[in-house]
Formats: sequence, structure tokens, C-alpha cells
Amino acid sequence: MFALKRVLLLAVGLASLVSATSSTGNSVLVVVEPKRQDDFSMFFEGLKDQGYELTFRQPKDEKPLIAEYDVAAFAHVVLLASETKNFAKDITPQSLVDLLRLKTNLIIALSTKQTPLSLLAPEFSLILPPPGTPLISYFPKRDEPASLVPITPTKRDATQIISDTSKPIWFSGVPQALGSNPQLVPILHAPAESFASEIDGGSADALVDSAEKGGEGLWAGSQLSVVTGFQTLDGARVTWVGGVDLFSDELAQKVGPDGLKSGNAAFARDIVAWTFQESLVLRIDKVEHHRVNETGPSELYTTNDELVFNAYISKFNPKQGSWEPYSGINDMQLEFTMLDPHIRTALPPVRSVPGKYSVTFRAPDRHGVFKFVVDYKRKGWSHLHSSVTVPIVPPRHDGYPRFLSAAWPYYAGAISTSIAFFLFSALWLAGEVRESAKRPGKAGKAE
Amino acid sequence: MSTAYPIPSDISPATVKNTASLLRIVALSLISGAAIASRLFAVINFESIIHEFDPWFNYRATRVLAAKGFYEFWNWFDPTAWYPLGRVVGGTVYPGLMVTSGVIYNILHFLNLPVDIRNVCVLLAPGFSALTAWATYMFTKEMKDESAGLLAAAFIGIVPGYISRSVAGSYDNEAIAIFLLMFTFYCWIKALKQGSALFGTIAAVFYFYMVAAWGGYVFITNMIPLHALVLVLMGRFSDRLYVAYSSWYAIGTLASMQVPFVGFQPVSTSEHMGALGVFGLLQIVAFAQLVRTHVSSQQFQKLLFGSVVAIGVLGFFSFIFLTYKGKIAPWTGRFYSLWDTGYAKKYIPIIASVSEHQPTAWPSFFMDLQFLIFLFPAGVVLCFRELRDEHLFVIIYAVMASYFAGVMVRLMLTLTPVVCVASAVALSTLLDTYIDPTEPVADDDTRSEADSTVTSNGSSAPSKKAKKAAAAAVSAPSKGPLSDLVAAATGSAHAGTGNITTGIFGLDSRGVVVLNVVFMLMFFVFHCTWVTSNAYSSPSVVLASTNPDGSQHIIDDFREAYYWLRQNTPQDAVVMSWWDYGYQIAGMADRPTLVDNNTWNNTHIATVGKAMSSSEEVAYPILRKHDVDYVLVIFGGLIGYSGDDINKFLWMVRIAQGVWPEEIQEPNYFTSQGEYRIDDRASQTMKDSLMYKMSYYRFNELFGGNPGTDRVRQQQVPKEGPTLDYLDEAFTSENWIVSLFPSLSYLAPHHFFRSTSDASNCICSRNSDSDFVSMSLLVLPRW
Repeated sequence: MFALKRVLLLAVGLASLVSATSSTGNSVLVVVEPKRQDDFSMFFEGLKDQGYELTFRQPKDEKPLIAEYDVAAFAHVVLLASETKNFAKDITPQSLVDLLRLKTNLIIALSTKQTPLSLLAPEFSLILPPPGTPLISYFPKRDEPASLVPITPTKRDATQIISDTSKPIWFSGVPQALGSNPQLVPILHAPAESFASEIDGGSADALVDSAEKGGEGLWAGSQLSVVTGFQTLDGARVTWVGGVDLFSDELAQKVGPDGLKSGNAAFARDIVAWTFQESLVLRIDKVEHHRVNETGPSELYTTNDELVFNAYISKFNPKQGSWEPYSGINDMQLEFTMLDPHIRTALPPVRSVPGKYSVTFRAPDRHGVFKFVVDYKRKGWSHLHSSVTVPIVPPRHDGYPRFLSAAWPYYAGAISTSIAFFLFSALWLAGEVRESAKRPGKAGKAE
Repeated sequence: MSTAYPIPSDISPATVKNTASLLRIVALSLISGAAIASRLFAVINFESIIHEFDPWFNYRATRVLAAKGFYEFWNWFDPTAWYPLGRVVGGTVYPGLMVTSGVIYNILHFLNLPVDIRNVCVLLAPGFSALTAWATYMFTKEMKDESAGLLAAAFIGIVPGYISRSVAGSYDNEAIAIFLLMFTFYCWIKALKQGSALFGTIAAVFYFYMVAAWGGYVFITNMIPLHALVLVLMGRFSDRLYVAYSSWYAIGTLASMQVPFVGFQPVSTSEHMGALGVFGLLQIVAFAQLVRTHVSSQQFQKLLFGSVVAIGVLGFFSFIFLTYKGKIAPWTGRFYSLWDTGYAKKYIPIIASVSEHQPTAWPSFFMDLQFLIFLFPAGVVLCFRELRDEHLFVIIYAVMASYFAGVMVRLMLTLTPVVCVASAVALSTLLDTYIDPTEPVADDDTRSEADSTVTSNGSSAPSKKAKKAAAAAVSAPSKGPLSDLVAAATGSAHAGTGNITTGIFGLDSRGVVVLNVVFMLMFFVFHCTWVTSNAYSSPSVVLASTNPDGSQHIIDDFREAYYWLRQNTPQDAVVMSWWDYGYQIAGMADRPTLVDNNTWNNTHIATVGKAMSSSEEVAYPILRKHDVDYVLVIFGGLIGYSGDDINKFLWMVRIAQGVWPEEIQEPNYFTSQGEYRIDDRASQTMKDSLMYKMSYYRFNELFGGNPGTDRVRQQQVPKEGPTLDYLDEAFTSENWIVSLFPSLSYLAPHHFFRSTSDASNCICSRNSDSDFVSMSLLVLPRW
């Protein structure tokens, strides 16, 4: 019975794994050199099994276009033609940037050769070593060439993206130094003992030479990245892979010297999952705001109102292909902004309602056009940004307290003056009847 | 008694009286008609449209009032103005104008007359000009007599100095304020003459209306106390003065404090302290008078006098002390700029940047008042000859208003009524003297003394006749040149029938003078018509130019651009422009603006000035911080519209420099020779500024890549046009007057237009403004 249940679960799991899919679409264009297409068959098959519809195109093919009439033709584009120097005329660095603007996700493979794509990399704050200098490491000692480096993911790598950190990932290609752009997401770093150099540069002399080479210095160490993600402000993702062999069947099946199986296949799937918007994808379903003790939103609020702000956040579940409420964010903040944030407060999840985040606060004592701003940006996660404009107005003319205890001197003054005037009038009029004209003068002086 | 020409003697005094009264009513009606009709040039030449800048805000506010009711208007918070600060409109506006239109609108709809609120607004100013003519008639009648009143009404009805602010479509506070000003003064004179608390109260009610309508109410607040003070100093204190002033001040001040925008100002700011001080002084003087009637001792009276002086001095020093301690707000910068014309330029560039705050040029006195300006002193002198209490008022008014009109162009408006009154008194006295048919008895040479004091002596048929003649002369200007000719012909016919045709009392000398006057009046009418139709009737939203063949060409770039904004941008797209165009964008494009013509926040305006005068890199974070989606630029270089942003650019620099002296420096925008240039020799700072780049962006492309010529500056722009990295061009209107530039992900346009050759050559600047105290003003081309 128990076993049956496990089998059933497994079956369901497998089925869902097969249908695992992206949150933004399943059409994929693969640009690959024809002679190398077969080298990546496992990778392609894996994509197809996941439910992606692959379209292959040679670098120099005119069709299918990547974008037509300012509309992207594919949801994702994989550029594996890392050594091609001449692409068809619709694949240019500019058109790729335009694709990102159209929210198409890209996987771009680099090589040690200088191609249009390697010229594009600096625009994404990736600094490539000079052409012809792959990543080289002599550790651990192994039979493979020094340019084929096994990398075991460490804590410094993007552990939320890499699912299996125990197996080595075989890498052959060019490393990248990273600029300071906050939108970069380094996925896999180079090993600490690796460096970039010419293939035959294993000798100590060559290392010294390269270290002293006119200002370029030595490309070495774990600051280098070999697989780097980049998420644009719009949410499109692009992943730069230092070497196209990472995806190859050969490395996926490789067994290391210590008998460990290669982690390349799983890593490739992880890269795809992140780049194609399967994992770490959040969205704000809706935000609402209202006064405390009210349910509906108001067009405007009064200063010092107690306000409630709710945000509903979902995370994409690639296995189900659906959005599910997500309460896992604990460091989100809400800003209530007019030019500068007047209030910045934590926006914690509500335990009882999955996916709901709520905060109650008092509006500032300042009128103006305010914005409820949620701006949650974490490396690797899709950015959450929401801005709702609402005017904060002063109280209405009848919204102020009517009688103030502090004003009693004035009330007393007004009342006493009224009474005195009444008495004066009464005395004046009464005196007029009884006596002659002298009375008023006295009354006036008495007042 | 002999007469210079035959007078019917068989008419009963009652008939004469009735006829005179009928003629007065007819004349007043015709004057009203002329006053309204002459203000309709703008509607006929262009269309029924709100003019200029501030009226657009008033119009927008009125629509809110008409649509949502008074209380919603009172509590209206406008989130689209001064984005993101917003504007509490109900508390920062003089609501009198809007409420007036709202009431008229509701009455018309109650009568099932479905008039559009826009037409009510457009025609409000002409309508009220008729009431102004009537109020001036009443006021002048108190000064002299009905004939002078009719003359004054005719003058104020068509004088350009007043028309400049009250043509159809000029929907501004002054439209109703001048009527309120004159009527309040009339009630005050009436109250003073009669010692009437009733008229004092009516004066207070209209004073309240005036406070609710225009910031210029401060003029009344100081004129009436000044008049009272002068009367007291001249020893003319009387119970009448006491009753009139006390009832006016007590009720008027309490009422004025009900206007939210005014609030406690009447008891806390220096501008209002004069009225309060005179009120206190009158109480003391009245008390002293009372005591004097009861005490006979000479010494005691001297003691009393000493204590009165002491109290006065004490009050003055306590005022100084309170001001020093900050209990009473000190004089505002605007006030200082009234005394020192260089003050604003030094300390408050934002006030100085408004062309209507400039000192008045001499020619504009003649332009606005024509021959009244030299009759005006004569009228004042005639007031000195009688010097009753009310004549003192005119004298004081004349002196004060003359000074202020010389300091600021816009204050010409307050001078105009007193010029009309004084001129009417002078002209009427002249006509009375020369038309009066009474021949002096040879041995009686005191006759002329009586002539100058023609009063309403109903039993005197000759003086009635004189009045009728004067009335005819008065109504003539409003009827046009034809009736003038008729009047002149009739006059000469009379002359032929006289007994005596030569000599000092002869018909010839009378005829010469009277005909001269008639000619002057005729030319006055021609002048007023010409000025009104050519200089004061351009809506400035729509411009007209003349084609080579003489036909009119309408330049409508402003509305083209505003409608583009309205149709093509999201409802909440924030538009940044220089503050002149804020009200128009809000009114016509219905989009939020950063700054508008209500210039209460210097820092916010300086922020916009900084963004415009900085490089793109510096400006962009400012734009982002303020959520700016579009930048609107006015550029007249293509068609020669001189009121464009490049010509106003130095003011932006100066205002920004006032707040950020380290980052923006005016000298950087000049060439090393100190010239303001836009061509190759322009300084690098100038060329890098956002305003320069936006103005000349792609300008050369119009000239096929050759350097284009800026027709306003008469300079060639550099061969290499500016490039924009952060902004892009979204829209440029037909004549390149208006351009919008969207920041980053949006696009923005370039827009503009130019004015008619007539209007731009006109000497007078006419700009909109909302009111004295809240400065809502703009920079307009003056030449």
C-alpha cells in the first residue's frame, strides 16, 4: 500500500517534471552551427521533454526572423553559435538588446574567439579576457587537458539557482570578470586556483608574462565568473555561458577521475530554468489600500488616516505551470513616498493568508500626492515593483473639531460681550422712557 | 435774464426733470452696450475661447464648481497641480470670480437656459464692465453731478486701460474686481456723506465680495483708512466719519476673515495694520470729543490731547515691537518692490521675471488713457477747489494710484477709474461753463463762480438745459462717429440762432471750445476702438499673422500640442514645462504639471529651472524623482515667436541660481564677451543645457542639413545640432512652437507658435495674473 502510494507520487512527479514549463512561453529559437547541432542532442531532448518547442536555425539562415514588426517571434532564444563571426543580418548586438526590451530571454554562449557576441558582453558589465585565453586550471590533477576544468559549486555561487551542488560541472571556455552592475547575477564562479591564459601558457614564465602584460594583468581566481546571469529592469533574463561545451553530450555523460558523475546536465537544466523564467519568478498579483475598518479603496485619503496596504504575491510553479501564492519573503518593505519616502516600513507576510502581505500605518501629516511603493529587488529573483498613486488631502472644512476646550477664553469673551450688549441695550431703552436725555451719556460712560 | 441762445420757456420743471431722467437712463444703457460691444473683438476675430494663462485656471475651477457644487469646490484638492505637492485649491484661491460665474450659471439653468459654463466665463468680464460703468456713474455723481457721472461712465466703458483686463475671454479676477472697487468706494462716500451705518454696512458687504474676488482688495483696505486719517488730521472728524468707518471696518474685517485664503491676515499682517490703527485712532478721537463736550477746563483738554498723542505713539511702537517679535508678519517682498523698483530683481527674481511687474513705460499711459491723461490733473485741481470730504478721497486716490501705476504695469488698472472720474469732472465743468446759455449781467462778474458749482438745482431751466447738452455729449462717444457729427451739426445750428455771435460770451467762442471737446471725444473713441481691436483682443492661445495677401493666418500650435497630449498620453502622465504653461496644460491637456502660474513655491520652480538649465545627466535624476513623463518646450525660432523658452531661459537660470548658487551660475550661459548667443559662439554650458538641446534638436534637418537660422535671435545655429541621450522627441507642432520630449521610455514633443505682428509690436504688455497677493503671473513677450 505504502509502496503503491510512493510509486503513484513518483509518477505524478515525473509527469509534472515532463510538463515543467516557463512562465512566459514555450517557443525557443536555437541558433547553432549545423556541424555542432548533434553534439547537444541530450540538451535539446531535455528541453523538448520539458515541453519547449524548439526551432533550429543556422547562424547564416535568413529565416525564421527573431523579431518581426517589433514583435518578438520567440519567447526564448538560445545562441549556441559561439564561434560564428558573421550572423544573418537580423542577429546583431543591437537586435539582441531590442529583444530583451521585448522581454525575450536569451542564453548566449561565448568562446575564446572574438565575435559580435563577445563585443556585446561588455554592455552587460562583463569584462572578457583577451581573445584566445580560455580558463585554465591544473587542479585537481587529472588526465583531461588543463582547459577542461571541473567546477564544484560552492556557497558563493547562486545556490538558489543551482539545484545540485555536489557534482562537478565540467567547463571549457572563457571566464568573465564582473563589473559593478547590480543587475548581474553570477551563477557559477571559476575555481580559486584557475586563471585565464593561452592554452600553452602553463609555464610559470607565461604566467608572469601575462601578469605583466600591458595593463591587462592576470585573469585569475574565484572572482571570475564562468556562467553569469543578467536580469534587465523589465524582467527579461539573459545568461552568458563562457563555453558552449557545457551543454554538450560528451561532458554531460562524463565521469570524473574520482568516479563522480558529471553535473552538467542538471546544471544546464538549472540555467534554462532560471533563464526561461521557470524558477525564482515572482509577481505582484494585486495591491490594495484602504482605511482601517473599511474594505474598499478610497480615491483620496486625509492626513493622519490609518491606512492598510495589502500586497498579494505569487510565485511561478514550473511543475504545475501555475502561479501559487507565496509567503516566503520576509524582508520586503513598503515606502510611502512623495519626492522622498515619508514612511518606510516592513511589509510582512500574513500567516493566515498565503501570499498576502499587509501593513497598517498612519498617513503622514502632510498633504500631497503620495505613492505606495513596493520595490523588492534581490539577485536572481524577478523584481517586484508596484507604485500606486494616491492623493493625501487636508481635512475637509467640516472635518476639524468644532469646539475646542482651549478656545474657552474666546467663547467666554463672545458670550459676555453679547450679554453685556443686551443689558446695555435694555438699560438704554428703559432709561430713555423714564428720564430725559442725560441718562444715555452716563450709561455710555459706564460701559 | 438774457440767454446766449433761445431756450423754450413754456416747459414745466416736472417735464424737464422727467426728460432728463429718461435721457440719463437711455445714455447709461447705450454706454453699457458700448462697453460690452467693444469687448467682443476677441470673440469675433478669433472664437469664444478663454484667453491667456490664469484665466485657464479660473475656468477649470469654475467648471469644478459648476459640476460638483460649492462645498466640493471649497474642499477641492487638486493633485495634478504642483505635482507631487498638490494644491489645496479651496484654501489658496480667491473664490469670488468662480462663485459669481457659478451663481450666474445656476440661475440661467434654473430659468431653463442651458448656457455652457464656458460662455458664462467668456462673457463675464464684458458683462461686469457694464456694471462698472454704472458704479462709476454713481461715484462721480457724488463728486459733481449726473452729467459728470455720465461722462465718467462713458470713459470707463471704453478706456483701453480697463479693457485690457476685461475683454471677452479674459476670465480673470480683475474682470469683476474693478466693479467691486468702484462700488465699494461709492458706498463709502455715501456712508461718509450721510453718516449712514446702512451704507457703511453695504460698503462692508461689497468689500467682503472684493476680498473674496481679488488680492487687490488691499488697495481698498488702505485707501479708506488713509482717507479717514487725512480727514481726522485736517480736523474734519465728525460723527458721520465715525459711524461710516466703524461700521465698514468692523463688519468688513470680520467678513473678510471668512475667506479661507485671507484667514487671520487682517489682524496679523502689516498690510492690514493701517486700517486697524485708524480704527483705534477714531475710537480715541471720538472718546476725546465726548469728554471735551463734558469738560470745560482748558488744561484738562490739553492733558487729554497729550494723552491722545501718547496713546498713538505707544500704539505705533507696540506695532513695531510686535512686528519685530514676529507676531505681525513683516512686509512682503512684493510690498518692498512697490517702493524700490530694483528690489525684486535683486532678491526675488521670480517676481521680477513677470513682465507685468515691470515699471510702466511712458507711452503706455497714453496708449491706455489717451486724452484722459492730461484732463486728469485738471480734474484733480477742480477737486481742490471744492475740497469737500469726498473730493479729498479722489485726490488721495489719484496720488496713490498714480504712483503705483508708475511702478508696476499691472497697477495701471487701479489708476484707470480715478482718471476717468477726474477727467469727467474736468470735462463736465468745461462743458457746463461753455454751454450754459446764461448771459452775465454786465455789472455782475461773480457769475463764473456759480458756473463751476452747478448743482442739482431743479428749478433752474437753463442749468437743466446744460445738463442735457452734456448728456448728449456723453452719449455721443458710445454711439460712434456718425452721431458725433450730428451732435456737432446740431451745435452749430444752435450757434446760428444766437443773439450774440462774437465776444467772450459769444457763440463763436463757445462753439470753438465745444467743438474742440467733441473732436477730442471722437478721437478718443477711435483710439479706444483701434487699441482694443489690435492690441488687447488676442487670446494668446491662438495667434494670428497676416499673409502677404492680407488675409489672416491662424497659428494654433498651442492647442495642437495640448490636444496631442490629451489624446496620446496616459491620464496620469506628468508634464514638465516652464511655469507659464502650467495652467494651460492643466486646462487644455488635463495632465498633471510640475509647476504652474500660481508661483507660491519658489523651490519647486527653481527645481524645474535647474532641470532645464543643467546637462541631461544632471537633469535626468530630477525628472525621475518627479515622475516626469514629458517635457514641454516652447520654441519660436522657426516662425519668429519671441515669447519662447529660449528668451525666458535666463530667468530659469536666475531662479535656479537663487536656490543652487553652486551648481547654476548665470555668467556661464553667456559668451566670454558677455553676450547671450545660441550660435557657434554659445558657451559650452549653454549648449549642454537641456533647454538648448531640446529647442534646437533636429532643427537643422528642416534646412536640409545646413545650419538653420533662428528667426527670433537672428543667429545661425551650430552646424552640428545637439543630440539627446535621455530624452526623445515625441511631438512637434506644425510651426515648431511646441515640442514635447518624453523622458526615457516615453517620447516628448516640441511645441510652439507666434503672435500677430500687431500684438507683438504693441508697447503695452498685457499679461494675465490672478491677483495681487498670490502671484500667478507669467512672462509674455512685450514687444
